[in-house]
Order: sequence, then structure tokens, then C-alpha cells
Amino acid sequence: MQTLINILVLASIYALISCGYVLIYRVSRVLNLAHGEFMMLGAYGLLATASSFGAHPFAAVGVASVMALLVGVAIYFVLMRHMTGESVLAAVLCTIAVGILLRGLITLTWGAQQHYPMEQLGWVNSSISVFGDARISAASLGLIIATAVCYSGLFLFLRYTRWGIQMRAAGQNPLLAAQRGIRLNGIYALAWGLATFTGGIAGMLIACDSGLQTTIVTIGLKAFPATLVGGLDSLLGALVGSLIIGTAEVLLINYVDPLLSDVAPFFILLVMLIFRPWGLFGTREEIDRV
Amino acid sequence: MNKSLVTLALLAAGIGGTPWALAQEAYVVGLTGALTGPVAGTYAPVIESMKAYIDQVNLRGGVNGKPIKLLIQDNQGEPSKAAADAKKFLSQDHVVMVINSSASSTYAPVIAETKRAHVPLFFAGAVCPKEVFPPAEELQFCSTSFAAQYDSQMALAFIKETAKEPVKLGLVAMAIPVSRGEIDYAEGLSKTLGMTPVEKQIVPPPTPDYTPFSTKLKEAGANWVYSWAPWVTEIKTVEGLRKLGWSGRYIAWAHIQAEEDLARVKDSDFYVVGANALFQDNLPVHSEIREVAKKANLTYPVQQLAEGWVSGMVLEQALRATAWPPTAEKVLASMSSLKVDTKGLRGGPIEWTKSNHFRTQQYYRVWHWDTTKQAVTRVKDWTSYVVK
Repeated sequence: MQTLINILVLASIYALISCGYVLIYRVSRVLNLAHGEFMMLGAYGLLATASSFGAHPFAAVGVASVMALLVGVAIYFVLMRHMTGESVLAAVLCTIAVGILLRGLITLTWGAQQHYPMEQLGWVNSSISVFGDARISAASLGLIIATAVCYSGLFLFLRYTRWGIQMRAAGQNPLLAAQRGIRLNGIYALAWGLATFTGGIAGMLIACDSGLQTTIVTIGLKAFPATLVGGLDSLLGALVGSLIIGTAEVLLINYVDPLLSDVAPFFILLVMLIFRPWGLFGTREEIDRV
Repeated sequence: MNKSLVTLALLAAGIGGTPWALAQEAYVVGLTGALTGPVAGTYAPVIESMKAYIDQVNLRGGVNGKPIKLLIQDNQGEPSKAAADAKKFLSQDHVVMVINSSASSTYAPVIAETKRAHVPLFFAGAVCPKEVFPPAEELQFCSTSFAAQYDSQMALAFIKETAKEPVKLGLVAMAIPVSRGEIDYAEGLSKTLGMTPVEKQIVPPPTPDYTPFSTKLKEAGANWVYSWAPWVTEIKTVEGLRKLGWSGRYIAWAHIQAEEDLARVKDSDFYVVGANALFQDNLPVHSEIREVAKKANLTYPVQQLAEGWVSGMVLEQALRATAWPPTAEKVLASMSSLKVDTKGLRGGPIEWTKSNHFRTQQYYRVWHWDTTKQAVTRVKDWTSYVVK
């Protein structure tokens, strides 16, 4: 049972990060390679608000979440909007530059030492007993719940709300969507905002569970194979891809060799790229365009 | 934004500097270190502390009436950058000593460059290469507190002394050569001490969740776990074990972050073995470090500064024993016969000889969190090992 819990926690981490990659790609066709840095920024945002609103932890989390959302919106309006009409490669390179800039700024501001936002919030990451002997930390449980809420929310949002439908339309055919009166800039900005919001939440929860250091950015990179395995333009794919990668990693640690867990995501990705490059649930045409 | 870190970054970028030192003839030393990048958490505090120490020495008039000009380059833990730094130091800055304070992957190119130029290379706060142990390679020296094999001998001796029941040992390393090598050594040693190694976990560095690794250790039935790895792996594994409700005892190497984290996790069964005195000892030298850290507004917590301070002491002493005008040969001669009083930061002096560039005696202490006193306390005082 503990193995199952471990798989669920790891898959939730990957899934929560992956949905940011998918949202941006699905709506604006940009592969955001700074997503790991946005996740890191969300975590450091919590660190900043925790020291400012230490007495009101929920306010600190709320403010940090709103900040994470606004960062995505701002990045779109300040930078990515100007990439309209440029090649996809230019936009991708732009996200790499943003990532390097963010990493540098965060290191200069907070240094390279380990921080513990949970402690600053005055919360204890207690161990909770579930299903007999199996245990889970409070922050890990939070991760699973946050992933479930985020994905359910996004499915409902994209299917039933006006903005969600507009977002899907903009993703499918931006020209036609614009001709039908959909304001593309607003929709793209919303997609960026939602992506940095979910990435930020992932960063905050990981930081609460095991501390925060600038190396957290590499976790963003580890989630990338999960996104590609599931399909770059499919939220369901991101969920399934994360589950596959998480399961493979935990089972390899448990039954084969822990060292293999590091290469397994990339091995699975390679196999997927050979046999089905658009991923399990991705759209074939989309990957051909990239 | 943190002023101290910005200053270090500017220095590393070659902007700024100390006008006083630049204006005069000085002992010029080059330091290539990981100020930023994935391993910066281990090395940046050492560099910051060493720079603060040297600034103090310069404020007091330098050594032999001359200032020490410490040139700092950020290699981000990357071998190619470290190589470029070493080349610059040796060909443009004509340094009399190169210091490496970075990941072991940066060693090979820096060693090659310093060998070519026949300039001494000092490892400060970075893992000591085997070449500094007897019989030492002519150009390499090390003041870092931790030492392969000796650390495990001490940790396992402590377990044997403390354990009242048969020891079922879990072992934890990070997937980097130096950590794996040490844990393999500890595994072999544990058998000779009558312990049963039940599980060995080699954790890859970018791990989002340590619980699966901890689960294996718990399920293997380990009642003691020993870890010799970068601090992130040591601390996250013990926290992972506790989250799973594991009630055994855990011992790890006391890296620079140990004192703060012992006080944070408040776990009396979590021991750290180390070679630097912790700040809870409150020695006069600790007060001095606190004062300097406050005055210079250093980035890192004061508890993390002892290692860099010791490196600064060694550097000062090596240059003090080098008559003006300095050359690499003169510095090498002084380093090959050096005795540094660490003012209690270590269990004894750091003594280098012609054949031993590590130290002749290595001293260890063991600490844990005392729940009664609600403080970090010593459970074993200085124990010495002769370095052969």
C-alpha cells in the first residue's frame, strides 16, 4: 500500500507541473521551457509572503497563488505577446531566456541555501496514517488533493465556461476565433496565468514537503517527459503520462535499482518518440507542425 | 536584494573589487567556486566566509605588510567554467595559488592547469581528493573537514558503541562517485564490525520525493541508517523515514547546514558526526565570526560559516609563511610544512607535511538534538584518528 501512495504522490507532482506545459502549448502553441523556473518562482513567492504574512498562513498562500497567476499574465503581455508572428523557435528561445533570467534573479535575491516555507507559515508537516501501515505527509496529501482539484477544475472550465470554450477555440483555430470576436491576447494571457498558477502551486507544495532550494527547478525538467508521453496538447494525457512515469520510477526504486529511476522517464520518452511521437493522447497534426 | 551576494557576483564577474588591494602589490590568489548553480548551497557559504575572513586580514594590514588579493570566479559547478577560470588565473592574473571550492567534477581540469603551471592547488570546503592523503601529490592541499574513509570509521564506531541491539544497517548515498565510493566502503567496514547491512540506497540528485527511497530502507528492517552524501540527501532521507513512522536511529555527516537543521527537526535519534565545532559551543572564535558576519551583512546563516573561516585561516597562514615577493614555489614550500591553529574550530591544528596534505590528525565530534535541554548537544567529544 505504501508503494501505491508513493506512486500517487510522485505522479501528482509531475501531473501538477505538466498541466502548465499543456495549457500553454494547447492554447498558444508555445513550448514553455521556463516552466520549471515559474514553478520555482511560485515556491519563492510563498517564501516571501510567508515572511510577510507569517501570522496569517492562509493569506500568505492566497497572496502567493495570486502572484503566481499574475506573473504568467505579465510575462505574456510584456514578452510573449511580441512573439506573435515570429517563428515557434523564437518563442521557445524567448522562454529559455526568461528561465535563465528568473534563475539568476532568484539566486541573487534568496541565495542558494535551503529554506523551509512550511516552518515560516507555522505549520507542521505531520505524518498521516492511511490504509493500515501506509503513511503520507500532510504536504504530500495536499499535493494529491491540489492535483485532483486543478485537473477537475480545468476540465470543467474548458468544457463549460465561456472563457474555457474560447480558450479551446483559440487553440484550435486562432484566425477563425479572432474573426468570431474572441480576444486572443486576453485568452493567451489567461492560459499563461493558469499555467504559472498551477506550476506555482506545485512549487509551493513541494517546498512545503521537502524544503526549498534553487535546485527545485530540475523537478520541472523531470516532469517534461511525463507531458510528452501523454501528449503535449492533452490534459488527460498529462495525467496519464505522469502516472506512467511515476509508477515506473517508484517500481524501479522498489524492485530493481534506485539509480534506474533517474533514467526511466527519458527511456519511456524515447520509446514513445519512436513509436508514437505525438504521445498517448496528443494530436498527430499538432506534433507534425512543431 | 541581498547586497553581499550581489557583491560576490560582481566580483565573480570581474566587476568591482577592493580598490585598496588592487592599488597595491598583493599576494594574488585565484578562487574558482560554485557561487551559483545546483551545488551552490554547499560551496557559496564557504566562499563568502573565506572572503569575509580575508577582508578582515586585509583590514588589519594584510600579511607581511601586503594585502591578499582574492580573485573569485563563479564556475557554477561546471568543469568547463572551472578550466577557463584556472587558465585565466594562471595566464593573466599570475596567481601564486589556486583555490577550488566546487563540485568534484571540476577537479580534473583545474588540477591539469595548475600542474602545467606548477602552482599549488588548495581545496577549500570541497571534498578532499585522494591525492592529498599520504603519500601526497606535490601540488594539492585540502583543509575541508570531511574525509573519505575516516568519516565512516568514526560514524560506524559510534554506532557500534551506542547500539544496544544487533545493528541492521541501512546506507544512503547520492548518485555521485565520491558519495557512492564512501558508502561502498562503509558497507564493507560495517561487516567487519559485526553489523548487518540490510539495504543501500543510491539516490539520484534531482529527486522530487525521497519517500520511495526511505520506504525501501524502512521495509528492509534497518534499525540504524548511515548517510554520507550532500546534505540535501542526508536530511531529506531522514525526514522521509520519519514521515513513514520509522523509529530507528540515523547518523549522517555534519555538513555546514547541520546545526540549523538539527534544531529544526528536533529529533533526538538523528545524530551528526562532524569535524567543525558547532556554534552552540560559543567559542571566542564563534563570536568573532558572528561579529564579522553581522558587519559584512553576509548572506548565509552564521552556523554555515565555520568551514570557510578555517579555509581563510589556512590561506592566511600559508601566505604569512611566504616571504615577499611571493612566487608559487615559495607558497608551495610554506604549504608543505604548515601548522594552523584553528582556535577551537577543529579538535586540533591543521598540520601539513611534505607527504601529508590533508592533516596529520583528524578529529570528530557527534551531536544530536536533546529533547530535555531543547538544544543541540554533544554526545561524543573530540575523538582523533591518525591520518596515515
